[in-house]
Amino acid sequence: MSDTPSSPQKSGSDCCCKGSSRRGFFLTLGVGLNVVAGSLLAVPILGYVLSSLRRPPSAQWISLGPLGGFPSGTTQLATYRNPVHRPWDGKTADIPCWVRSIDGSKFQVFAINCAHLGCPVRWFEQSRLFLCPCHGGAYYEDGSRASGPPPRGLFEYEYKVEKGALWVKGGFIPTLARPLSAA
Amino acid sequence: MLRQLQQIAQWFDDRLHLTKLFASTAGHRVPKSSGSWFYVFGSGTMLCLMLQLVTGTCLAFVYVPSADEAYTTLEYLTYEQPLGWYLRALHYWGSNFMLGIMSLHMAQVFLFGAYKYPRELTWITGVLLLFVTLGLAFTGQVMRFDQDAYWGLGIGTAIMGRVPVIGAQLVNLMLAGPIIAGETLSRFFTLHVFILPGTILALIGVHLRLVLTKGINEYPKPGVPVRRETYVEEYETLVEKEGVAFVPGAISKDLYFSAFVMLAIATCAAVFGPKGPEGVPDPTYIQTAPQPDFLFLWVYSVAALLPPYTETVVLLVGPAVGVLALLALPFISNTGEKSARRRPVAVLTVLVAFLGLGLLTWAGLTSPWSPHMQAWTSDPTPVAFVKGRSPLELQGALVLQNKQCRNCHALDGVGGHRGPDLSTVATRLTRDQLVRQVIQGGGNMPAYGKNLSPAEVDALVAFMMTLHPANELPARDATLSVRRSP
Amino acid sequence: MDFDALYRSQCAGCHSRDGRLAAARPLNDPTYLAFVDPTALRRVISEGVPGTSMPAFSQKRGGLLTDAQIDVLVDRLTEATPGVRIALKLPPYSAPLGDATRGAMVYQTFCSKCHGAEGRGGPNGQSIVDPAYLSLVSDQALRTAVVAGRIDLGMPDWRGYVPGRVMSPQEVSDVVAWLASQRPRQPRPSTP
Repeated sequence: MSDTPSSPQKSGSDCCCKGSSRRGFFLTLGVGLNVVAGSLLAVPILGYVLSSLRRPPSAQWISLGPLGGFPSGTTQLATYRNPVHRPWDGKTADIPCWVRSIDGSKFQVFAINCAHLGCPVRWFEQSRLFLCPCHGGAYYEDGSRASGPPPRGLFEYEYKVEKGALWVKGGFIPTLARPLSAA
Repeated sequence: MLRQLQQIAQWFDDRLHLTKLFASTAGHRVPKSSGSWFYVFGSGTMLCLMLQLVTGTCLAFVYVPSADEAYTTLEYLTYEQPLGWYLRALHYWGSNFMLGIMSLHMAQVFLFGAYKYPRELTWITGVLLLFVTLGLAFTGQVMRFDQDAYWGLGIGTAIMGRVPVIGAQLVNLMLAGPIIAGETLSRFFTLHVFILPGTILALIGVHLRLVLTKGINEYPKPGVPVRRETYVEEYETLVEKEGVAFVPGAISKDLYFSAFVMLAIATCAAVFGPKGPEGVPDPTYIQTAPQPDFLFLWVYSVAALLPPYTETVVLLVGPAVGVLALLALPFISNTGEKSARRRPVAVLTVLVAFLGLGLLTWAGLTSPWSPHMQAWTSDPTPVAFVKGRSPLELQGALVLQNKQCRNCHALDGVGGHRGPDLSTVATRLTRDQLVRQVIQGGGNMPAYGKNLSPAEVDALVAFMMTLHPANELPARDATLSVRRSP
Repeated sequence: MDFDALYRSQCAGCHSRDGRLAAARPLNDPTYLAFVDPTALRRVISEGVPGTSMPAFSQKRGGLLTDAQIDVLVDRLTEATPGVRIALKLPPYSAPLGDATRGAMVYQTFCSKCHGAEGRGGPNGQSIVDPAYLSLVSDQALRTAVVAGRIDLGMPDWRGYVPGRVMSPQEVSDVVAWLASQRPRQPRPSTP
């Protein structure tokens, strides 16, 4: 009773096993080939997507124009074209910064971005404060934190005077993770 | 004629198996109790998504995702393209309605215990759908590439920059470069029109599949808890005994609601129109006060109201904890009572959540923490505070304007609200205290000592000493009078 | 460029709207507008008055206004000036300081009735010799106040101090010199 049906089943299963081992091999081969080919494709695709994950290009010297434009005792807005930019960036690659001319030869150059959440700070000549319109961060004229939520003073560019012009070292948006060098 | 039509229908059905498909999907049996008004929000959300896909595709016919030209195309869409303004308005209001109805759906599912056994995965895919939708809303706000979008990205950048160790890399990944510029917009465009919509459709597929395999939650009865051993059987019996086909037995309220939602979106779009675009995204134009869209105002409020030292932790850890809590919910409370009548904590949670979001949004709308950058030149000193004042006191009123005090301090409610209203300041501080506060600052006020001449301080304090109600004397130093009296 | 919008956003904070009582002179007083010299007004708006609470509004000086916007303000404020100026026989807008000693007598004649014999305040007017006050106003501001008055505060103009007697240009210069001489000697620390 147990014998009779078992033999055809056995032969059947054998036949099936043989077939399946061959089929299994081809299946594995097929899947394997696709994994290899897929990985070959995935490397450049992921490389393309993640290329921006690498550390951004290092800071460069940027000219803010002749020293004559920054009379002693003034704090004024200057703008520069970001050294790293694309032809289709339009106005977004024009970056503003605050230039404080202490005596015509000593300067402080501050990033426009509030150290709290990056909003554009505005200079108020009368009270000699930088105020942020978002959450009310306030900074003194030397960029140090006066009050409000900012965890630190304004981000400050490293600067140099060369060929009668004022130069700053920058090229990226400053954040707490990567403040500008001088600060 | 009728016979021929039937034959044609038959021919198609033979090939497409539409009848079978219908029976296993739209026609599946659901508990009769689920044909309730409380169960219309899921289909309402999906309707909004469909509308967003249609209007978004239409907008993409015209929109150019280039930092240089996006603003021009937005203006063209809004002011020149026939009905462009209406399509923009539909897309904007559609997104508001989608998140609104989605949160109602989520609250209902939570209150009805629908996330419990065996529908854990349905809840989890729903949570993922919520995040993808929030992602669509944020990236969509960037598509309206104006000043708010630019500085909104700046805020995102600043938050990313607070991540320890890999902050700088994350910023670069988010912006696709060192600054907010052309590639940033392309990146957000790709997310907004390809990646996130694709993800949301796939997730909805799984979400609906789960509704079919695990069934829609029955209207919970108080005192009938979920037990893992018996629930599936009980549910099957229920559906067998008093189930109806979803179509046509339980869908009518969904249909009414859908029609209502469409009409509401169409009306809001027609009445209120699209949002913005507000100003060329030119970072050198800094006379701007960036504000996020309505949906994210509460985040803006949180950032303003947190004590500075907790901010980084809360901004970074808070969302992670929130996500984990939502994902873990069906495992934490897997069985037991479903009815909200027996789950006071659940009801309280929903109330607190909605009240909290509502209050934070309201706070964001009024944003008392933002200085009014124009107040010093545009908000006049109220007449009552000028009347009868001496020349010196009037000069003090001018100092108060000129030194931008008004940007943070209101007089009679007009002006900034970051600091206290000064209308009755003389009743709170004595003359000496006023001088000290002005010169040394403190309590979140900058010190003005270096920036005021002695005459300016004299005038300013003389003016502030007049700021008290007629029937209330100014504050005085009690120790001085004691010393003088003997 | 709309005058009203510019005025409301840039001037109203100190000079008030619609000519209501204000900390600084409301800019709709016809006597003042006839008195003021358009060139001087343009300079004051552009560059401010150093040491006083009048800030510079020109973009070149850190303000928000372009030259064209300042022109809109000046032109509109002084458009009716020439005719009125002649009709009123106003003293000149600016003149050198007169003689302080004579000014003290002029003060007694025209001003002491309200501001008191020594200028420290009287029945209808308050102290105008407070050192801090005098430190914060320019000589020109004093002259303008004497001639144009402050109609919003109830102070009459140069014709109305003594009924039937108009101040002469010399008397105006003298009384301003007397007021200026009351200013504390030490130079006030100028804001950097």
